[in-house]
Amino acid sequence: MECEVIEMHLKYLFDLDNILSDMDEPHYQKIGFPIEKEEKLSLLRKRQDLIEKLPPDIAGVYERLRKRYQRAIAPVENGFCFGCFQQLPTELLTRSNEINTCPNCGRILYWRHK
Amino acid sequence: MNLASLLVKDRVNLAIKPGKKNKVIEDLVYLIKRGSDAELIVSTLLKREELGSTGIGKGIAIPHCRSLAVDKLEIAVGRTTKGINFNAIDKKPVFLIFLIIAPPQDPGNQYLLTIGKIVQIAKDLTKKDLLNKAQTPEEFVTMIGQIEKELNKRK
Repeated sequence: MECEVIEMHLKYLFDLDNILSDMDEPHYQKIGFPIEKEEKLSLLRKRQDLIEKLPPDIAGVYERLRKRYQRAIAPVENGFCFGCFQQLPTELLTRSNEINTCPNCGRILYWRHK
Repeated sequence: MNLASLLVKDRVNLAIKPGKKNKVIEDLVYLIKRGSDAELIVSTLLKREELGSTGIGKGIAIPHCRSLAVDKLEIAVGRTTKGINFNAIDKKPVFLIFLIIAPPQDPGNQYLLTIGKIVQIAKDLTKKDLLNKAQTPEEFVTMIGQIEKELNKRK
């Protein structure tokens, strides 16, 4: 599978996970948005579909990181990993066409489109 | 956390084109981002809407999500005189939309605090019948600032 496709699936999966994890936050529940149980199940199924679309090794890394940090992907800002706030080595900043992880915390790195 | 300081007049459109919920959400996202990032944001917002409408009733909706596509909390506001079917909690059309996008890593959980604050302000807006008062984006931002100050005093 091409790197761009994997990255796209990861982004969609990550955003979906953020929706699901925010819903469990007490502060969010207190706001009182109605949540349809059936739709939550459907979203969980979509999540599973996305996991299955990923190469098993990448899916495994993603799931492991999510369990450890809650958010498995960290944006890169000014050469820093915004998961652990450590500076990234120069060779990573001249990014190659592959999925990169932070050498310090292991999170999957994401470069925003400017 | 100061909501008025997060509102940018260029992202307040007091005459959005009425239309289907998805299209209105898309148009508001375009006030913040364009291109593939916008697509990602729209897709996430719509997935969130699938879980249950963010139309909180009395003509107001607050679609929201986190997205890798933004590096800070971003808000766009849209108002229309023709109601939009948002499947709101009270089943009534929506006239004012606050669209919120936050980065995944969000210091101090500003995202959830902002949503909470907008809900409070929205209730005040409808209670005081101020939904259509502001005539320009500048007036709208000033009005929100005033309501926010009053709410802070009441605490």
